[in-house]
Amino acid sequence: MVVSDLAIADPFAQATVAVQDVSVRYRVPSTDAAERRRRANPLVKAARTVLGNDPKVTVRALSGISFVAKSGEQIGLVGQNGSGKSTLLRIIAGLENPAKGRVLAESTPVLIGVNAALVPDLSGEENIRLGCLAMGLTPAQAEAAVPEVKELAGLGKSIYLPMKTYSSGMGARLRFAIATASNPHILLIDEALATGDAAFKERSEARMQGLRKSAGTVFLVSHAAQTIEETCTRAIWLNHGRLVLDGPAEDVALRYRKWAWAIAKDKPDEAKQIIETAFSEREQTTVRVEEARSSRRYTSRHVRPSSASSRRSQGGQ
Amino acid sequence: METVAHTIRLRCGAMTHEADVQQGAETRPADLYAELFGKQASTLEVVSTGRLSQVGARPPIRTYLAQLWKRRHFLWAEARAKVTSGTRETLLGQAWLVINPMLNGLAYYLIFGLVLGAREGISNFLGYLIIGVFLFQFTTQCVTGGAKSIASGRNLIRAFTFPRASLPISVVLRGILNLAPTLGAMFVLILLLPEQEHWTAAAGLFPAVLVLQVLFTTGLALLLARAAAALPDLNQLIGVLMRFWLYGSAVFFSIERFENYPWIVGIMEANPMYMVLDAARDTLLYGVVPATSTWVGLGAWSVGMLVVGFLVFWRAEESYGRL
Repeated sequence: MVVSDLAIADPFAQATVAVQDVSVRYRVPSTDAAERRRRANPLVKAARTVLGNDPKVTVRALSGISFVAKSGEQIGLVGQNGSGKSTLLRIIAGLENPAKGRVLAESTPVLIGVNAALVPDLSGEENIRLGCLAMGLTPAQAEAAVPEVKELAGLGKSIYLPMKTYSSGMGARLRFAIATASNPHILLIDEALATGDAAFKERSEARMQGLRKSAGTVFLVSHAAQTIEETCTRAIWLNHGRLVLDGPAEDVALRYRKWAWAIAKDKPDEAKQIIETAFSEREQTTVRVEEARSSRRYTSRHVRPSSASSRRSQGGQ
Repeated sequence: METVAHTIRLRCGAMTHEADVQQGAETRPADLYAELFGKQASTLEVVSTGRLSQVGARPPIRTYLAQLWKRRHFLWAEARAKVTSGTRETLLGQAWLVINPMLNGLAYYLIFGLVLGAREGISNFLGYLIIGVFLFQFTTQCVTGGAKSIASGRNLIRAFTFPRASLPISVVLRGILNLAPTLGAMFVLILLLPEQEHWTAAAGLFPAVLVLQVLFTTGLALLLARAAAALPDLNQLIGVLMRFWLYGSAVFFSIERFENYPWIVGIMEANPMYMVLDAARDTLLYGVVPATSTWVGLGAWSVGMLVVGFLVFWRAEESYGRL
């Protein structure tokens, strides 16, 4: 981590995030009438009607995702709405735990999401202090970070108004500015920049460049494949919770754009062909985790089996 | 681990032929063949836990406590922010922190003291009532707020990684900040009201009672925070249960009313909030050092509840981020 000026495709770049065979499932209520009919037990049905509960269905948000991110990489996640991009970010951030598999990271990843409203009653300025303290900065560090965050957010006098009066774009700018204040090594951005205006986009991209230069890793979710192509070094395409393609940003984003175009123009056969080609060309990544016991350099010779050859070993870690 | 995998394969072999073929057709090529001879190009990435550590994993209890201690500034700032924001939109602002419990006390005084005649046999009934109402209100605030803390802190949980116990603890801190002006008003009222109290050195023990109450309440807030995160229905119940508890803690009547029912007296005397109120009144109003049994009982409740609540909350640390 002493290396400060890493080239983009450095073969000796250190791994910062390892995602090992991660799967996520949710049990959520569904108002789907077919689902209601499926459960034939009249008692259960009657109870549901009385209590006003909907039947629960299992949603597979992610299945079998594996990859390793290196320092200095900026990774774009592309895919349709509901393809699991945001879920993957939340899992990497450790805010949720996967049903199967695990995520390892070199330092605590910081997630900037669209949902994080911080404390709506407090002014933007107070939220900066609170957010900095929540990320583990000392009061002195937080105080020192306030002017910089204010400048990056660029909200003018609005910074003194309660956060609940902010527009979604203003809120997103403030959250981005707060999240980068702690100089996170691993930054996860969930559509946060889509709402900013041109001037802010410029500043935030410069800030992300800076973070990447200091050997960090940036994950960026965006529907706009063009943003990914322009700013990222690597891209991951997700479809229905599965990893379709993982490779150089230009290649992956281009194929995703072609696929999305085929879907939009109602050409399902073409879309299917694109996605199948991508699937067949994908490099299957297997992540093996070696358990280091005492010293940092030491790796045990009796390595545990990798995840692919025996999934059952997961539980015993 | 490898032996486990072997035994499973062996067991498959011992099954019927048909099952064996199925096993072979489905799992073996996917696992072994594809990996060894590579139909698809595959890469193996090896990472070591020496440099990377698992995210979102529940840390061991010592680390957890250390993390909490590191976040003390955040806890304090959050509590302070919430105290002021709660009354920010009202005209009287922070004065409500004092006015509200006083009005509460007045209501109890009118109904129970005057109309229902609960004050008979209690010396210095006003002081008795004020201490009961003010101190009990602190517990109510912390317990109901603590139970809701995970739900209401969801935004923070989804935005930042921090020990989740911060949320219920911050609710208790907020309660303490709320309690400070309330206590001031309580002392002023006790001194101003016409009835006589006996000031002795025993009053110096009042802070100790308060500390025990805070410890107990923190434990209960942590315990209920986990319970209500798992089962949100609990929030609906807590309001009712708190009312029962209020009546069971002799806030506005004397325990002597139930002299003929020893089992009621027994339950009430084992009740930690009754112990708190009783000890507080002993020290402040009657100039008596509380009985040793009260100290022992209250101490056991407080430390026990804190330890149990903390452990229970910590065990589910990984689950609070779920939708």
